[in-house]
Parts: sequence; structure tokens; C-alpha cells
Amino acid sequence: MLEAQRLEEQPELAVEARNLTKRFGKFIAVDHINLEIRRGENFGLLGPNGAGKTTTIRMITGVIKPSEGYVKVFGIDVARERKKVLKYIGYMPQKFSLYEDLTVEENIRLYGRLQGLTGSLLKERVKELLERFYLWEFRRRLAGKLSGGMKQRLALATALVHDPALLILDEPTAGVDPPLRRKFWEHFRELNREGKTILVTTHYMDEAENCDRLALMNRGRIIAEGTPREIKRKALGGDLVEIVFEGDLDPAALPGVKSVLEDSSERYLLVVEDAGRDLPRIVKRAEELGAKILVASPVHVSLEEAFIRFMGESE
Amino acid sequence: MIELEEGIRKGLRIIPIVDKEIRQLVRDPKTILMVLLMPITVTILFGYGYGGKGAGKYPITVVDLDGGDGAFKFIQELRNSKMFEIKAIYKSKGQGFSSVYSGKVYASLIIPETFTEDLMRGRPTRVELYYDASNPTVAQMIMQAVGVVTQQFQEWAASQFGTFAITPMFYTVYGPKIKKIESFIPTLMAMILQMVPTSLISVSICREREKGTFEQFIMTPVSVFDIIFGKLTAYFFATISDAILSLFTAILLFDVKLKGTFLDMTIVSTVFLLNSLSLGLLISVFSRNQLQAYQASIFSFIIFMLFSGVLIPVDVLSSEAKLIASFVPMYYFVTAFRNVSLKGWSYLMVLDQLTVISMFTFAFLALSLRFLRMEVT
Repeated sequence: MLEAQRLEEQPELAVEARNLTKRFGKFIAVDHINLEIRRGENFGLLGPNGAGKTTTIRMITGVIKPSEGYVKVFGIDVARERKKVLKYIGYMPQKFSLYEDLTVEENIRLYGRLQGLTGSLLKERVKELLERFYLWEFRRRLAGKLSGGMKQRLALATALVHDPALLILDEPTAGVDPPLRRKFWEHFRELNREGKTILVTTHYMDEAENCDRLALMNRGRIIAEGTPREIKRKALGGDLVEIVFEGDLDPAALPGVKSVLEDSSERYLLVVEDAGRDLPRIVKRAEELGAKILVASPVHVSLEEAFIRFMGESE
Repeated sequence: MIELEEGIRKGLRIIPIVDKEIRQLVRDPKTILMVLLMPITVTILFGYGYGGKGAGKYPITVVDLDGGDGAFKFIQELRNSKMFEIKAIYKSKGQGFSSVYSGKVYASLIIPETFTEDLMRGRPTRVELYYDASNPTVAQMIMQAVGVVTQQFQEWAASQFGTFAITPMFYTVYGPKIKKIESFIPTLMAMILQMVPTSLISVSICREREKGTFEQFIMTPVSVFDIIFGKLTAYFFATISDAILSLFTAILLFDVKLKGTFLDMTIVSTVFLLNSLSLGLLISVFSRNQLQAYQASIFSFIIFMLFSGVLIPVDVLSSEAKLIASFVPMYYFVTAFRNVSLKGWSYLMVLDQLTVISMFTFAFLALSLRFLRMEVT
């Protein structure tokens, strides 16, 4: 495979979107967004249904044209040189988009041939993918007769047929049972380790924790961006810590405290700048003030909570 | 950046598309229905409806100049014989003749003015049969049957009124040289080669859009050219059988005798088939969904039927209608196929029509290539 060599010569950014906008009549589906996805990254586009994720994805794959702005994939302008860029993109649309009246093997073969594979190379590739995604024994079954999970595996196998450097997955786990969802994410992580850049959209917040970096979308805009941890910090304005104590304690007197989220007689939920730095200082100061600290610990914030906060702000 | 990996082929991707389309067509029960059953059914319906085989009865007309009880009884005998289907009873010879001339019936039987009177008085009398000699087999059968009926009638009359004779007189009339079914073959072929291919292919692209498969399809380096010509080729193979099947059904079931050679008829049919498919592709490019595509195919089919000369000859249409007809490829096909199949012309003698049809084909394909969007909506 020439994959490694090919990647070396490619620019740092797998996807670069500037002022990307899509209007449908008066409705603005995607509103001047900027995106930078680095090579090798597992990037998540997160947001509720109707946030503009699919429209964004479709502009990146070039199946719809932006009203404004541009997208470059590995430095190639998608709108201008779409054909050149296609071989680097493997795409799995939200809705199952393969031919239900063709068999599993026929679908993969067809896409292999359309991508330009022939002869023994094609044959080997099809076999490899059938085996890797546990489709070998179902290879003669019509795609329309597969279960939801198998359809998704077939879609993933097909998206990978030409060994693309960038894998774009639109809601790949929508409608898939939770145990299978985990299995899918194992596949994605494995592909990511193999060096593929992954752009995945989801509205399952728990899944998004698997991503290296995230962008939160709502109403056509990106309302936050960063690693899962950064996003949570941004949502709260810092880290969340919990303190349970005996005696009197004025939160305003504690160091590093930015705000008080909950205040029940002997328990505080505080937002601090940095939990690791501030927590020992808080304990020390509280004891100096005469309170007895029973519990002092950082609190796990879910992405969902962070997201709801951002949504509230952006309304 | 390296342009292409080793082993990745550049160029056209028509063959995998043709392969895919044919697999899908074969697996779609609709194809069997439209490509195999419809042409046969339509041909059979046409054959029975226009071929004159009826339910084994010969259509004739009767001219009753007598108007008496004797004539009435004779007509009843004709009916009872179960050999004839009496289409009409006229009062004048002229009507009787024209019914044979126009090819509507095989024969007209004339009962003379004094039939009842002669009968009652025991005088010899006669009936006259004017038959279409262009079909000797049928004429023979009708003469025999009339002879039998007359004889039976005479026996009955003899027992009632005494000895006398009723002589059947036979006269030849030349009706249209061509049997009805043959003259309908160009219409039949035009219908089958227009309706089935156009409506079948008209959903091919918009179905992909509707089902969402187009989104994945255009993520491969296929070009507009690949899609249009891939589909055209696949549907051509699937529907060429259509034309051949209809011809064979007509020939085998209805004893149709065409003067044209199989090669000439196939060449003319192929040129028109490609046109129908191209029109269907154009419809598919512009349709948002399958329903719209079907509607557009049916609409174009109605227009074509009206202005191609299959229902009313184009010559008798108004000048505006003639203008419309000149934009209807089916009009050129019907003209060309009529000359080839019925008059036995070679395809070279209808090159003018074939050229016009091909120009339409070219225009439909060019528009399809121009307007097929490699995008989803």
C-alpha cells in the first residue's frame, strides 16, 4: 500500500472549512462555520437533529454545493476539484444508501469497480473487507434482507473499499443497539489507529467522549469546539468540584472559586478554574477557616450537561 | 501528491454500471411484468381485437332488401349456424358493399326484394354473397357455410311450400389487401417500443435519488457520461427482447405475414428503441420522484399516440397538429416501420426517418448529460 507515502505528502489539515454556509431558500441550514480537522484525528460533530450536521457533511463530501465559503479536503477544493478528492474520502451516509437488490458481495464489488479496482486486487480487497466486518457468511444475501447492524457493517465495508485516508461517517450508530454501538466504536478507533482521519457525527453524547476533538453544532452554527474536556470546561467556565463539610464556610472566601452551582447547608458544588490546582488549596483554606472537610473531589461532567449549557447560552 | 494508486484504473466506468443495472433489472419483478408480459398481452389483445379471429365466427353484414318473414327466418338460420357474427343489417346494397370494401367484415349477404314472395309461391329464388377475395381461406369457409345454411333453409321451405330451389350466388369483392392485424403491426410496435422502455428507464435515476443510493453512487469517480450510457446500455439489452417478443407473438399466434425482413425490422426497431430510452433518461433526470417520472412517461406517450398517425393519419390533421407531429419521433418510426414491414422496403429506403429519430435521440442524450446533477437535494 502506498497509503503512508501518500499521506506524508499531504498537508496537515484533512478538512478545512471556511465560512461554510448553506441556504435552502430563506432557511439557513449551515451558517458560516469554520472547521479544521487535523490529519489522523478522530473528530466528532455533535448536535441535535436538525442542527446542520448532515448538511455540513454533505458539503464536505461535495454531494451538495455550498452557498458560501469553501471546503478543502487534504488541500483540494471540493467544489472545484471534486473528482480528485473522491479517492481520499470514504463516506457512509446517514441513511443506508447501498443497493438493497444486490447482495452483500455484489455491493462491495460494485463500489470497488467504480473506484477503479480490478482483477485480483479487487477480489482480495472484497474478501478482506467481508472477513474484517464479519460479513463473509452473509455475502450472498441481498442487502435489503440484512438486519440494521449488518447493513451498517456493510456500509462501513463499502466506504473503505478504496482504502481512503479520510472516513466520513454520518450518524453511523443511529438505530443500532447499544452493545453493537460499542463494537462500532471499536472499529472506528482501530481504523483511526491505522492512520485514517475520521469525521463522525452523532447525537449520542456518550459516544462523543471517544473523539479526540469535537465541535458542537446547534442551529447551523458551531457553538463550541475542542477536546471533550475543554468543551466541558468551557461550558462551566472551569472544573466542577464537590465539597462536603461540617461547620461554617463562606464559598467566597475560598481560592479559585468562580461560581457556586449548588449550595445545600453543608455541601457545595463549585466551579473552579482548575480542579487539580485549586482543590488542595480549597481544602487547606477551609480548614484554616475552621471548617472540617469530609469530601473534596472533582465531579465528572457529562458532555450532555455541557451541551445543554451551551445551548442555553446560544439561545 | 500521487495522482492514483497503482492498480487503480482511470477512465470509463460504464461496464460495472451496466452489470449492476442488469442485475437489478433481472431481480425486479416489475421488469418481467413490463418487458415480457406486457408486449405479449398487448399483442394478443390486438390480435383478437383487430385480427378478425373473433370467437371463431366470421363477421359479416346482411342486406335485407326483402324485409319479409322469409328473410327474417333466413337471417335467424345464419345466426343459428354459429358460423357468423352479423355485424349489421342494412337496407341498401351500397352499405353492404362498403362494409366489405373497408375491411370491416369478410362478406355481405344480400337477400333480394322478392325473397319471401318467391318462397311462398314455390318459385326458385337466390341469395347473393359478396365476399372479400383477398383472403382466400376465409372466403372459402364463408362460401361453404352459406351453402350449408341455404341448403338447410331450402329443405325446410320445401316441406312448407313445395318444390323449388334457392341458389346461393357468389360475387367477388376486393377488400383491403392487408389483413387488419398486419396493418396494426406498426402501431403495436410503436406502442410497445415507446411505452415499456420509456417508463421503465424513466424511474432509474430518480429512484436512486428517492432511495438515497445516489448519494453513495456519486461518491465514486463515476461521470455523468458513465451513468447515462451505462443505464442506456443496460436497459437497451433488457428491452430489445421486448420488440422481438412482440413480433414473434404476432407472427406465431396470428399468422401475421410481414413482407419486411427480420434484419430490416430489427434495425428500424433498434433506432426507435434507443430514442425511447433516451427520452426516458431525460425524464428521469428532471423528475423529482418515481411518480412524477411515470406521469411524464404516460403524458408523453399520450401525445405521441395522438400525433404519430396511429390513431388518425397525420395527413388529415390540421396544420398545427402536423407541426406537432413533426416533433414526435414515433411519427417517423410508424412511417418507417410501415414501409419496412408491410411494403418490404429495406432500412436504407427509410434512412430519412431513421436520421430524424436519431437526431431526437442525440438531443435527448445531450440534454440528459447536460442537466444530470451529481448532487443530492
